[in-house]
Amino acid sequence: MSPAGCSHVNGYKVDNWRQNLRVIYQCFVWSGTAETRRRKIGNIFVSTDRREDRSAVRKRDTEKEEKRERTEEERHMSEAQQENHQAKSCICHMCGAHLNRLHSCLYCVFFGCFTKKHIHEHAKNKRHNLAIDLLYGGIYCFVCQDYIYDKDMEQIAKEEQRKAWKLQGIGEKYTTWEPTKRELELFRHNPKRRKITTNCTIGLRGLINLGNTCFMNCIVQALTHTPLLRDFFLSDRHKCEMQSNSCLVCEMSQLFQEFYSGHRSPHIPFRLLHLVWTHARHLAGYEQQDAHEFLIAALDVLHRHCKGDTIKDDNGKKTNNPNHCNCIIDQIFTGGLQSDVTCQVCHGVSTTIDPFWDISLDLPGSPTPFWPLSPGGDGSTVNGENHLSGSTTLTDCLRRFTRPEHLGSNAKIKCGGCHSYQESTKQLTMKKLPIVACFHLKRFEHSAKLRRKITTYVSFPLELDMTPFMASSKESRVNGQYQQSVDVLNNDNKYSLFAVVNHQGTLESGHYTSFIRQHKDQWFKCDDAIITKASIKDVLDSEGYLLFYHKQFLEYE
Amino acid sequence: MNKEARLKATINQKLTETGERERLKELLRAKLTECGWKDQMKAQCKEVIKEKGLEHVTVEDLVVEITPKGRALVPDSVKKELLQRIRAFLTQHAS
Repeated sequence: MSPAGCSHVNGYKVDNWRQNLRVIYQCFVWSGTAETRRRKIGNIFVSTDRREDRSAVRKRDTEKEEKRERTEEERHMSEAQQENHQAKSCICHMCGAHLNRLHSCLYCVFFGCFTKKHIHEHAKNKRHNLAIDLLYGGIYCFVCQDYIYDKDMEQIAKEEQRKAWKLQGIGEKYTTWEPTKRELELFRHNPKRRKITTNCTIGLRGLINLGNTCFMNCIVQALTHTPLLRDFFLSDRHKCEMQSNSCLVCEMSQLFQEFYSGHRSPHIPFRLLHLVWTHARHLAGYEQQDAHEFLIAALDVLHRHCKGDTIKDDNGKKTNNPNHCNCIIDQIFTGGLQSDVTCQVCHGVSTTIDPFWDISLDLPGSPTPFWPLSPGGDGSTVNGENHLSGSTTLTDCLRRFTRPEHLGSNAKIKCGGCHSYQESTKQLTMKKLPIVACFHLKRFEHSAKLRRKITTYVSFPLELDMTPFMASSKESRVNGQYQQSVDVLNNDNKYSLFAVVNHQGTLESGHYTSFIRQHKDQWFKCDDAIITKASIKDVLDSEGYLLFYHKQFLEYE
Repeated sequence: MNKEARLKATINQKLTETGERERLKELLRAKLTECGWKDQMKAQCKEVIKEKGLEHVTVEDLVVEITPKGRALVPDSVKKELLQRIRAFLTQHAS
């Protein structure tokens, strides 16, 4: 079927056909749902004399409407009206059934079953050769005897479907990508294609160590394998506004080009290193640095250099407010951490929300005791698990991070309700989760007494559900135990592991390596210039220093 | 319209009015995608198109061939879950 449809639609495309078609879609195909009925409806389409021609019906109603208020919204039928119409009038005019692939005639007010051929009879008798499938919105031509795809009608159908989804609260749904005219042109002018097969190693490239720069190499590997970041850079979304040549975002863009070029030889990131030294002085020098510190510094510089990509406010001015930045770094990495301080006397809660790029988690073996989890609880039997024998899990660390903490008599907080200093409890929970969540296991201890590395094994999962640690789940916690009510259809808080940075050795001399996920179940170990295939077991058995998780399901805004 | 048909129509009306029909549809969509039914159907469609030829195949050809297979391949667990939801809805709205 050609995109121009069939020639038989030309008889239909006269007068106000677009508006008529829209109303059919709105009332009978995709109607928005109404939670409350707003108005009583006058039956516009379900008239007593069903054989009235549509044009006559519409004429009568435009007269009716002229008496009422004429607003833009009223031309689009209200949700309640649509609901009512769809419920009561969508039945076959010949047999009363509402199933059997009901179709509506496009030329008059007639509904008929497709399966029982009632609509076919109508089409033959009246010579009305177009009908619309009320279930999927397809247009059927009785002359061509098949569904046809007319560009103009498809356009209307798509728009009405989007409107209905919005009304239903579904928002945008996934639709397959279709190239624009310009994109088709680009395809024709650039015939070379690169096919991504399952064994394809595109995107994988080693990095030369320039002198203790393994800490940087690992973070680069993690960032170049963050899907959203990769998509942003490969689609050239960065518009540079820096005058000098020292934009780190431009360098990142170059880096992605290098990684996805198909070259297999290791890349030498000397320009990247130089830029990092320029913009993050504290990381300059050839000593071994902390990979976590490098990650935060890199994100910070990238965020600052993304000025050209931030959204503009109503006056056309760039929003330079750090709290309202909408750069790609913020969109991907920034989450909101909620801190609730509860006064022990009046039980008033004071809440603050701070942005974060990573979550730093204490480990057992650190100076502050890991157990007990809740104030006054007995560590060894909390949650029914025996922690002393089993190994610590990432979930344990998160539970500890989000537990209510009694702030003690030495740290009284001024309570707004009591107007005096009182003892209080503080609790951290996640208010807003970032698309990429980075967990930092605090293995390096730099206290006054000693500097050491905590090598306690912490097991982490491939798939992580953050629901129990959300601010909204806080209320379901009772006495330190939490009920995990799993809502199967709520996928908002599910995450998948995609990169792990590990540190081998001691505090004084050590080496960083990373595991990154290439395709769904393919992992690779990146040891500077050497890339080797790794098993999932290798990844999960590793010590874990920085853990990168990616949201499983993304919502369209 | 006989009694059974009238009952069906009433239930359908109630489901549509309350928006439950749309919700059930979404649930069914999700379940059928998860269990791989949708992919199976896609593959079957491709087979039919290959058989009949891209230029000559009509939607009706596909419907006739795919419908019985599709109905048979829906997993029992999915059927059960949908039935439960509908029952619950009806008990709630019994009048």
